[in-house]
Amino acid sequence: MAIMGREFTYMWRDRELRNILLVGPLLGLLLFYATYSVQALTDIPTAVADLDRSTASRELTDYIGSAENLNIVACPNSFEEVEELIKKGKIVVGVVIPENYGKNVSLRRQARVEMIVDGSNMIYATNATGAVLSVTRSVGAKAGVQSLIAKGVHPDQAIGAYQSISFREEPWFNPTLNYAYFVVLALALNFWQQCCTIAACMNIIGETGVGSWRQLKAAGVSKLRLFFCKSAIQICTFMLIVCPIYALSFTVFKLPVHCSFGELFLFNLAFVIALHSVGTLASSIAPNAVDATRFGMIVALPSFIVSGYTWPLEAMPGFVQQLAKIVPHTWFFQGINYLTFKNPGWHFMVHFYLAFFLIAVACYGAATIFTCRK
Amino acid sequence: MRQVFNIAYYETLHIMKDKVLTLLIIFVPLFYAFLCGAVYVSGVLTGIPLGVVDLDHSRLSREVVFAFENSPRFKIITEVDTYPLLEEGMKTGAIRAGVLIPEDFEKKAARNSGAEVLTVYDGSNLLWGYNIRKYTMEVVNQFHSNHAAAYMAGMGLNRHEIYDILDTVSLNVDVWYNPTFNYATFMLLGIMMMVIHQICLLAVGITVTREKERNCWIQYLASAAAPWKIFLGKSLPYFTTNCLNYGLLIWFNYCFIHVKTGGSLFLIILLGLLYAIIITGTGFFISLHAPNSLLVTRYLMLLSVPFFIISGYTWPQTHIPDLVNILARALPFTWMAEGFRLVALKNLNLPYLVPNMLALSVMAILSLFLALTFTKQRKPPADTGVFDLKNDC
Repeated sequence: MAIMGREFTYMWRDRELRNILLVGPLLGLLLFYATYSVQALTDIPTAVADLDRSTASRELTDYIGSAENLNIVACPNSFEEVEELIKKGKIVVGVVIPENYGKNVSLRRQARVEMIVDGSNMIYATNATGAVLSVTRSVGAKAGVQSLIAKGVHPDQAIGAYQSISFREEPWFNPTLNYAYFVVLALALNFWQQCCTIAACMNIIGETGVGSWRQLKAAGVSKLRLFFCKSAIQICTFMLIVCPIYALSFTVFKLPVHCSFGELFLFNLAFVIALHSVGTLASSIAPNAVDATRFGMIVALPSFIVSGYTWPLEAMPGFVQQLAKIVPHTWFFQGINYLTFKNPGWHFMVHFYLAFFLIAVACYGAATIFTCRK
Repeated sequence: MRQVFNIAYYETLHIMKDKVLTLLIIFVPLFYAFLCGAVYVSGVLTGIPLGVVDLDHSRLSREVVFAFENSPRFKIITEVDTYPLLEEGMKTGAIRAGVLIPEDFEKKAARNSGAEVLTVYDGSNLLWGYNIRKYTMEVVNQFHSNHAAAYMAGMGLNRHEIYDILDTVSLNVDVWYNPTFNYATFMLLGIMMMVIHQICLLAVGITVTREKERNCWIQYLASAAAPWKIFLGKSLPYFTTNCLNYGLLIWFNYCFIHVKTGGSLFLIILLGLLYAIIITGTGFFISLHAPNSLLVTRYLMLLSVPFFIISGYTWPQTHIPDLVNILARALPFTWMAEGFRLVALKNLNLPYLVPNMLALSVMAILSLFLALTFTKQRKPPADTGVFDLKNDC
């Protein structure tokens, strides 16, 4: 207990570490939530250049304006103006309705409408393309039905050609495709794990890197007992600071969670132990505290990208997938996604706990070997 | 200039002596480029595991399945053929999308009485979600065209007539700048700018604190060398490695990951130089005022994620609240990432980059001013009467 009390006092007296642990994760959560507060990518800025100005072209413009997620913000007078608006980033979708569009449609001649999507931002581009494809289907079907009716086909038959089969889409687990639901908690937890890594990287070097280490050794304090007690108090601290993040996320920001708080807490604890073991290993091999922090962060910084939380693991090359599975962050972010959105059950999550256990055993074991030599 | 080069020489020796720092500024950027490049190397999501539950087993339902089978985007997982298995597969991630064809589907379609196919997809990861939604629409649009053509053929219309009707209004969708929707092209340009930002800031951020910790900073303060010479000398190695890393990472991504990198070479170099000046100047300024290297390392390490997220590089600025946008616009990464994308990806020239160039130039001047004009005066001794060499210098 004395060692635990000492460790807690040391952590509290380290002002920078205290600020990072207490303020950092909460500030991160607030900042990320504020960034994604719009939550869904609606109102994609769109420009329609109506070069025809006929009733048919106005109808098409109105239809585009009423399409899901598209918002007409400009009505340029030429293709060049549309091009300029896309270059300047003012619009993401540009539609050019050619001259004689109305005449061609009424004479049942082919009328070609150009739709341009700015692909430079993929989040915008995939959403915009989805919206545009939906418009093309509806407009094409409507024109086709009118053409068939004009050819003397019975309206029911004409409609049957295009609308006898409908496709309904249903996004599961996140029905509104809410981006805040998807990333805010994960980003906040990513920031939290970085803060924890900084603290964990002081575990061994915080003792062996200072002069009092000789005194401790001379006093005959058991290294195992010393570092076990230090680790226990650090792990408890990490668990304590994650509680407000979950509390704010689920109660104030109403982010989804489909598992019980007990499951979430247990899963988090398993990750914290594995994460702490990685930090401890970094602190046992580093010659000083700065290098220990650097080692820890070299692993922690790209871990979110490699974890497959955003770009899927399945789309990565095999060796990257294997590499990703060595670090606990991959299991954590994948697991958090499953627990908050799907809750696939204990039998599925066992693999995750096993991975945390193996990583912790390997890292603590290696750290013990390195520390014994000090 | 001799003084400047002498200081630069000693700084280089310090860097070389610190093996971890050497590793950090020479190998870590390339390692990150390799790692992130490997993550995004496939660029496009293909072979998306799809479960098909066909309860009709009719000719028409097989046509629907065939439409998805023919798409290079989807890979049908044959083991998933019932609704419970589909639910389970979606929960465990074995499949990411599903198609449900109800009983009597063909009969209902023939009677025009609401034959409906349900397509479901995993929204828990919106990269899957958005892409599957787009790919499904492509398949559905193609299926509708084929089905309408077959229907019209059954009504006795000839091929030419069918083509005319289907193409009465033809909406041609043209995707500019990244037509293949390649995620490597989208993400890696920004990630590389952040890697350069972080690595250089971390390295230059300890250039003065290291001296303070070794009680050597007082020698610089007491020397006859002007502050600007001290800054130039100490920053030169970091500025040089930063510029080299900038070029190296762009080259690596272009050659090995095939990230689209076009545009004016002059503008790319100009952006890189401004970026390097800002980071080096700011890092030196931080180092001047920070009490020790550990503090600098800890705080600077945490900057990358929030800077990247609020910059609007991924989630568009139009959908970020003004307050966050104002904060983001005070950061060089926001302007650099956007500017680099405008040049390298959109192939735009200087007139389109004026705001970015202006913002980066102002930041460069400001950071240089702060770094160059530090005072060599030492702080007076603390009230305690004990002279703290580390903090008072």
